[in-house]
Amino acid sequence: MSLNLSAEPRAAGVAAPATVPAIETRGLRKVYGRTTVLHDLTLTVEPGEVFGFLGPNGAGKTTTVKILLGLVRATAGEARICGLPAGDLAARRRVGYLPENFRFHDWLTGAGLLEFHGRLAGLSEEERRARIPQVIRRVGLAGRGDARIRTYSKGMTQRIGLAQAIFHRPDLVLLDEPTSALDPVGRHEVRDLIRSLRDEGITVFLNSHLLSEVELVCDRAAIIDRGRVVRSGRLGELLGATSQLRVTIDRVNDDLLAALKRHAEVLAVEVIDAGIEPGGASRTLAGNGSVTVTLAVDDPEIAPLVAETVMRRGHRLHGLVPVHRSLEEVFMDLVEGGEG
Amino acid sequence: MNTLTVARFTLQEAISRRLILAGAILSLAFLGLFVLGFALIYHNSSELSGPLSDEQSRAMFGTIMSVMGLYAINFLAGFLALFLSVGAISSEIDSGALHAVLARPLRRAEFILGRWLAYAGLIGLYVGLMAGSLLLAAWLISDYAVPDPVRATLLMMLAAIVLLTVSLFGSTVLSTLANGVVVFSLFGLAWLAGIIEVIGGALSNQAMLNIGTAVSLLVPSDAIWRGASYYVLSPLYLAGVSANHEGIAIVGHSPPATAMVIWSVLYPLTLLGAAVLTFGRRDL
Repeated sequence: MSLNLSAEPRAAGVAAPATVPAIETRGLRKVYGRTTVLHDLTLTVEPGEVFGFLGPNGAGKTTTVKILLGLVRATAGEARICGLPAGDLAARRRVGYLPENFRFHDWLTGAGLLEFHGRLAGLSEEERRARIPQVIRRVGLAGRGDARIRTYSKGMTQRIGLAQAIFHRPDLVLLDEPTSALDPVGRHEVRDLIRSLRDEGITVFLNSHLLSEVELVCDRAAIIDRGRVVRSGRLGELLGATSQLRVTIDRVNDDLLAALKRHAEVLAVEVIDAGIEPGGASRTLAGNGSVTVTLAVDDPEIAPLVAETVMRRGHRLHGLVPVHRSLEEVFMDLVEGGEG
Repeated sequence: MNTLTVARFTLQEAISRRLILAGAILSLAFLGLFVLGFALIYHNSSELSGPLSDEQSRAMFGTIMSVMGLYAINFLAGFLALFLSVGAISSEIDSGALHAVLARPLRRAEFILGRWLAYAGLIGLYVGLMAGSLLLAAWLISDYAVPDPVRATLLMMLAAIVLLTVSLFGSTVLSTLANGVVVFSLFGLAWLAGIIEVIGGALSNQAMLNIGTAVSLLVPSDAIWRGASYYVLSPLYLAGVSANHEGIAIVGHSPPATAMVIWSVLYPLTLLGAAVLTFGRRDL
């Protein structure tokens, strides 16, 4: 089972003007009883990008998606899809959606599901007949389209869910945890599918808590916690903003640490070998050991400056490695640190 | 257009889940039993008819067997309506299957109307085929032709559609289990109130009559059945009831009041509108 990633021609006249955001929310708020699920959520997703929407369980990700689709009404604020009010029929024509639980009418066959959704999306009989085998092949279900969905594995059900989401060639695809039931090969294939959708100019809004997935495929991302966007931007910016520099030197003393602190925050000092001579505030190695000083840097370009500082003070520089933090680390810091 | 797509989808579901096949088999079994029982009773009716003439005897047995058969069909149609629609919306919401569907350019009203249309069609077909077959069998066996089979059948369809709409409305605001409890209770309540009203009439007890009328307004299914049953009764039977002040408790001995018929038509339309409104405002 594998995905067919050949690009498909877009239906004429359906593409959104490039200047209109694919998704735009302003001050979106949702309150259930006394619980506020979304707090003034403001978000812009540009057309043609793959946008990751991250957050822990209960952060408000699925509620946001449901508001965008008109399944849930916002208490306050505004949401637009391709410039149209979210939830309007015209907006929904432009959207494909894979729900989080990917539950479909299991008495239907895979092809029957696409037929039903194609009718609702307004595709002609001719279009439906032509597209059903194409899309089934594209999601790696060739030969299984006539089997009932109740006979599908979880992964196959998720694939047919992806098929119904892209069946009518939407401008925007909202994918809510699209790889949660897939094995590593299936996940890889879905990532490739998402990239191929981007190549076709389709905007993908990827709602996920699988951070590695987002890191691998998204252009931009927003991290949401307790109903608020705590950080958003291009993936490089999100990760780069909290880069580290690991400086490995022969020894360290207070003078050097004070000099390094002028360039960056010192996160940790780690002695790699035994044989330390007791020396008050100064820690000096007796043998061939080394000390690793971890610095938090906003701009990795300061590395030469750090090297110069070390050597000017007569220290031997064994290594200078910029370390980019993973999205998971950034996410954990933001969510656990309670920036939201 | 989308309404018809949803109606078609709902019918496909009924076929795929073998509801129609199971219903057809059981209906044939019911009709077979009815024909057998009616034929046996009718051919032994001379022992039961006493002083009645052949014509009187035929009308009496024809009336009783037809009305009892139709009563059973009315019950079955009521159950069918409730079972079909009790989770028509709620179970779809609970399972999450509705989310992908309503993310399409489909109005929620179209979904409700499509569901209702398909179920109403199925129930109408069921009542029409069953009542028609039963009355035909009664005519073939006893040569008894009911006075107005069309009105009787149409009213029976209306009774089942009233229950269908009550249940569909409940399905937009309650969970499937809660809705099941409520609608089956209402079904039973309407039946009981009908009996109380008939007994109240026989005893000329105004309080009992008022209870019956009030419940009939709340759930008119049993009142509609009584209206339908009137069109099955032979004039001879009705004359006997009028003379002796005795009759079958489950049938109506007077034609349905026009106001009740109008209410019974407005009732499902109003509830359907309410279902569209409540479902339209509900967060999914």
